[in-house]
Amino acid sequence: MSHAPRRRTRLLQFAAAASLVIATAGCSGGLGGGGDDGGSDDGPIKLGMLAPFSGSESAFGEYMQNGAQLAVDELNADGGVLGRDLELVVEDDACDATTAVAGANKLVTDGIAASVGGYCSGATLPTLPIFDEAGIPMVIPAANSNELVEQQLPGVFLINGTGTQQAQAAVAYSEKIGASSVAAIDDATAYSADLAASFVEQATDAGLDVAFEATITPGENDYSAVATQLANEQPALVYWTGYYQEGGLIARQAKDAGFDGVFLVGDGSVDAKFAEIAGDGYTDNVVGTFTQTPDMIEGADEWIADYTELAGAAPGPYSTQSYDAVRVIAQAMEDAGSTDFDEVVAGLEGLEDFDTFAGPLTFTDDHTLSGGGFVIVAIDPATGAFVLKDDLQG
Amino acid sequence: MAGRLDQALKHAPLRAPSPLFDRPRAPRGVFTSQTGFLRALGGLAVVLLLVLPFMDASRYTMSIATSALIYVMLCMGLNVVVGFAGLLDLGYIAFFAVGAYVSGIFTTVLGFPMWLSLIATICACIIAGIIIGAPTLRLRSDYLAIVTLGFGEIIRITANNLDITGGPSGIHGIPSWEFGGWSFDDGFSIGGIEFPGYVVFYYFVALVVVVVGVIGAGRLGKGKMGRAWKAVRDDEDAAEAMGINTYIAKISAYIIGAVWAGMAGQLMATHLSAISPNSFQFLYSALILMAVVLGGMGSTPGVIIGALFVSLAPELLRDFAEWRFLIFGVLLVVVMLFRPAGLWPATAVLPWLKRQKPQPPPFTSAVSAVDHGEPTVPPSVMESVDGLPATDAEEGRQP
Amino acid sequence: MMQLIWNGLIVGSFYALVALGYSMVYGIIKLLNFAHGDIYMLGAFVGFFTLSAFGISNETSIPLLLVIMLLSMVTTGLIGVGIERIAYRPLRNSPRLAVLITAIGVSFTLEYGVRQLFGPNPEAFPIRLASTGFDVLGMRITASQLVLVVIAAVLMLVLAHIVERTSQGRAMRAIALDPQGAQLMGVNVNRVIATVFFIGSALAGAAGVMAGAYYGSIDFLMGFIIGLKAFTAAVIGGIGNLYGAMLGGLLLGLLESFGAAWFGGEWRDVFSFAFLILFLTFKPTGLLGARVVERM
Repeated sequence: MSHAPRRRTRLLQFAAAASLVIATAGCSGGLGGGGDDGGSDDGPIKLGMLAPFSGSESAFGEYMQNGAQLAVDELNADGGVLGRDLELVVEDDACDATTAVAGANKLVTDGIAASVGGYCSGATLPTLPIFDEAGIPMVIPAANSNELVEQQLPGVFLINGTGTQQAQAAVAYSEKIGASSVAAIDDATAYSADLAASFVEQATDAGLDVAFEATITPGENDYSAVATQLANEQPALVYWTGYYQEGGLIARQAKDAGFDGVFLVGDGSVDAKFAEIAGDGYTDNVVGTFTQTPDMIEGADEWIADYTELAGAAPGPYSTQSYDAVRVIAQAMEDAGSTDFDEVVAGLEGLEDFDTFAGPLTFTDDHTLSGGGFVIVAIDPATGAFVLKDDLQG
Repeated sequence: MAGRLDQALKHAPLRAPSPLFDRPRAPRGVFTSQTGFLRALGGLAVVLLLVLPFMDASRYTMSIATSALIYVMLCMGLNVVVGFAGLLDLGYIAFFAVGAYVSGIFTTVLGFPMWLSLIATICACIIAGIIIGAPTLRLRSDYLAIVTLGFGEIIRITANNLDITGGPSGIHGIPSWEFGGWSFDDGFSIGGIEFPGYVVFYYFVALVVVVVGVIGAGRLGKGKMGRAWKAVRDDEDAAEAMGINTYIAKISAYIIGAVWAGMAGQLMATHLSAISPNSFQFLYSALILMAVVLGGMGSTPGVIIGALFVSLAPELLRDFAEWRFLIFGVLLVVVMLFRPAGLWPATAVLPWLKRQKPQPPPFTSAVSAVDHGEPTVPPSVMESVDGLPATDAEEGRQP
Repeated sequence: MMQLIWNGLIVGSFYALVALGYSMVYGIIKLLNFAHGDIYMLGAFVGFFTLSAFGISNETSIPLLLVIMLLSMVTTGLIGVGIERIAYRPLRNSPRLAVLITAIGVSFTLEYGVRQLFGPNPEAFPIRLASTGFDVLGMRITASQLVLVVIAAVLMLVLAHIVERTSQGRAMRAIALDPQGAQLMGVNVNRVIATVFFIGSALAGAAGVMAGAYYGSIDFLMGFIIGLKAFTAAVIGGIGNLYGAMLGGLLLGLLESFGAAWFGGEWRDVFSFAFLILFLTFKPTGLLGARVVERM
């Protein structure tokens, strides 16, 4: 009992100290002073990019960063946007929601004017409300889950074709080669599972026989289970919707197990590394669904050379999309004559037939690409790179 | 015969022998006692945390501060399981996932308000704690490690495969707490200071929950249950022989740990507004365990330091982007090499208290009246190894 | 059916090779060496680095594979000894969890060190075994699988010989039983522990090179999952027991193979872990493990 008064005095001391600190702390940046979240009006226009630079997906972060950086350098060489230079600010999202949210908040605090990042759908989703609330338009180069646009946030634009569009191309190709039975394999990530589910749905609607739909665990080496399944069921075409590393392994192991149908891969697998991993003699049945790549477009040799000079490595998946994302947002700002949220969004919505790697770009009402621009590519046995095989135009 | 003895004993005055010594008064005061100092430190930390938003309310600071608080909550829960009860848990993130997913599903799919889903979260975590705890009761440390690891993976993979959990992209659009028509997102203003709901306000909620969580876990660790946990940790067979129900002790540790993690999960789900299975990988279980061991198992201040280190170090090293996990790894090895018992071990005594020789306690008058001679127990026995009086002084309990 | 068993045995032999190192280290100093999976990854990268340095690619020769494997084994063995010397030995008398955390730190260091050196992209391994397949008893077996199984079996036999028949092996078993007693009997404990780390790491390095040559792709995180799986395998077999580790590895491979066939690939790990938990509930010491009273 006798201790009670002493404790109370200590509490009082704390309270006094606390109020003192609060009183002195009403400086800017705190709750009392008005926070300044938007970009400032002088200095470079900052573009933020969230991409994975650590963890299992870290290979893609660099492709995206370099693609975007190339666009920024080119635009700056041409005098920038609205008379101001562009600056790319990159943060790691590690493909993880917590890290992504911290990164997004950091970008907002850094005062970015627009976001040109977003790779993993699962890590991009929680960042949408943050950017939205801060009034920052987003042009998402890689993540393409349908859930990103389902929330109908005004500032969200996808410039990667959605799973639905890509699956459409895959089904169109299956019908074209007369594949009666098809199968789908995904790697349990959001992007891949979306695409596979969409493919199975559309294939069923088109009257194709779906032999099976399998899921594998990414990051492993042995996919003999699914390879055996392919060999036993022998679908005429299998659609692999994950990335090239597992894709190359599965293509090889499936062929070893005796599968001889067509191995169709999604855009995540369209990479020269695919042939390297699968090995010689394992790629003649491999085709892919892909948006136009640099080497299929005239004048793109120069682009690849520029990219290689900047990055010290050849471009990979989503390099072109990230490059385009920067150009799209820059064009929208230029059209709008401002970096203000509503005007930039209006500028993005008003873009018509803007020239990108994926073909002329016009956003639909739900802020996705009007046409996916997907084509069919196959591996060139000499170089191992994917080259245009069929543009699916009739 | 026996009956008469009983009769005799019934009326015999049973009196405990008088104590040899007066129970020494636990030292008090901020700098003269361990408890006082820790309490003052804790109070100071809370005050600083309360003041933080007034200094820097940028979204980034608030966001990492909230995440760090949630980590503290998680680590306090794991500290109960690993630090107090000595059960090595490599799948602790599973409970975090259960909490996050249950609150996510209840609010988005089923449309309950957040406060109702809190009850559901706690219930689900208790059940999860029992499910995971029960089969592991017979196992000892290393087998326990793999079983808990397995559970962690099972929960994550299940969340990744089911439709109700949103599959690989998880659940998004998780609402904030709301009462009637007012939600935390709206924010409010008091005395001219605008509280922009969202991040800053949520930070205060997390702060309150975490402070309650830290104090609660600390008190539990000192109570009857806590002493049972520590007995089981130090020697299970001896504890059982002393009449402690080791099954109950272990399973209650699991349940407490699960509830703490579930609360943290709910905070996280609301804070991020979206959750995905990627956030519940084994790596994160390892990180939390790392925080607990790094800080000092069973030591509340240590675990808080560890949690802050593990959650803030990657953020502070953000500018080193690609190097940060390498630096993190090296740092971890170096810290463990120089402080193997953790940064602030449970047995740590403040350095200036260590040197203080306690006075031998005065004898009670009863002893001197009866005995007149030297006490049978030399005073030096009453000094424990670390120089503190061998009482519950550092536990700060009132007799 | 037969195909499933064969597939399971192939994966299982990788698990077994890595699990052996896990189990040996655990048996002798009661440490869960979380960095062990990364030694496997290092083995693959040592092979990759050497071959690339000589400009070799798309090679299929088995003698070259054996040479590279030996080189990798020596290198990873020495790295393993180095890790033990720097990170684990100073902590031998510390709480066991402290060493566990150090092991996680070492694991991070190795993974992200390799990432800094070789980049985050997967690399194609320069040696590829020819995989002409033929059908036996309803299974499709490829030549590379046979090579793999033979190499794994030889390595395990050599290991069994070392542990059972040599004085070093006797010293290892003595330390596993009672380190202090062994020391009193004149066993150089530090040296024997270093030997154990050398052998365990060399086996993991060999498995890494074999995985590179068999599957064809290596990356800096490849050791993580197999490390977890090998840990599981070692526990199923009874951790600390060498034959248990081999058996556990093969059993886990079979479980995964059947799990994937019955429940689909996405539920495979759930199936194996659920089996593991049920199994341990009824037989808490694993297949061949001894009941030991121990404390944390």
